[in-house]
Amino acid sequence: MKKIVFITLSLLLAVSFWNCEKDDICAEGTAVTPLVIIEFYDATTTTALKSVTNLGVIAPSFTTGFSFTGVSKIKVPLRTSADFTSLHFIQNGSDADTTNDNIDLLTFNYMRNDVFISRACGYKTVFFLDATNPIALTTDGNNWIQNIEVVQPNIVTENEVHVKIYF
Amino acid sequence: MLKYIFSLIVFCVSIIGNAQTKDTTKVLYPERYGLRLGIDLHKIGQSFYEKDYRGFEIVGDYRLTKRFYFAGEIGNEDKTIEDDGLNFTTKGSYFKVGFDYNSFENWLDMENMIFVGMRYGISSFNHTLNDYTIFDPTNYYGENTVLTTQKFNGLNASWLEIVGGIKAELFQNVYLGFSVRLNYLVSNKKPDNFDNLFIPGYNRTYDGKFGAGFNYSLSYFIPIYKKNKVVAEEK
Repeated sequence: MKKIVFITLSLLLAVSFWNCEKDDICAEGTAVTPLVIIEFYDATTTTALKSVTNLGVIAPSFTTGFSFTGVSKIKVPLRTSADFTSLHFIQNGSDADTTNDNIDLLTFNYMRNDVFISRACGYKTVFFLDATNPIALTTDGNNWIQNIEVVQPNIVTENEVHVKIYF
Repeated sequence: MLKYIFSLIVFCVSIIGNAQTKDTTKVLYPERYGLRLGIDLHKIGQSFYEKDYRGFEIVGDYRLTKRFYFAGEIGNEDKTIEDDGLNFTTKGSYFKVGFDYNSFENWLDMENMIFVGMRYGISSFNHTLNDYTIFDPTNYYGENTVLTTQKFNGLNASWLEIVGGIKAELFQNVYLGFSVRLNYLVSNKKPDNFDNLFIPGYNRTYDGKFGAGFNYSLSYFIPIYKKNKVVAEEK
């Protein structure tokens, strides 16, 4: 009995020290707020993937954005604090030459839901694209984007393509 | 904290040291039975020096046999926790019942304890979410902290505790005790879209079902009756 008592006491003491340690780091690979996944296709041969060249994506009035080149699939973040996100998709936008830029304005309209993840990660936002007007392309007479197709309106994970853009 | 644990261990070891002196003649000592009631000093203390915490715990035990004590705690906690992406307040009450087994062979008429025990604890509580930050891997639009007053009511949990600790008589009928507890969650009613990150009485939760706690108790012994203890001759 004495031995059991001794073991229990030492175990409990050890646990009381371990209790002071933190496990408050959000583990990598945790499903956090998803980015919208956009795949680019050829406007004429609509089944053929088409790579973008020097595509710049930037929020209006922002000074920094994202640039993509030589890829047909991109990820961009949506606003977690509003029910819409406007983004400039600029053809040839991420190269030094500004004369060949073609700016198209896309507005994503959605509903948001904040979902609890864990103590360390807090909450994430998931997005549900609007059924009637999910993504609006502002017509400017010189749009490089020909067509937009929403394949998965529920932006909950990053496991699948949400939007197809034809150009 | 660690300083106090250390000093208590030293104290505890010195008691064990004393215990090795054994009587070789048969002597009778009256052993007192009764009720011991007290408070958790740590919770009271924390209530004073931490602005985000209010809590108390009443502890008690009743001596059943030479070694077994019926034991329990009852308490209330109101704690606001600030984590990286979360700030929430948990309020609730709990009680724990079980037993303590005194493994300590007291010398002469001393009444100290080195004990192990078990408890079953039940807690009823609610959480108020004060704010949370959206975990956005890019944070391109800046950090989004959402203020809210979302309440998660009607929650409860129950758990088993393995307790180990000491109680020492400071002066007549007044005891100072320390115990550490390993908790194992038996039931846990979680809210929708949040989690029981803190459970009054159980303390903070971890990924698994285990948790831990401790208390420092200051208690007063109310003697009710006496029984004689026979110290048998050894060797």
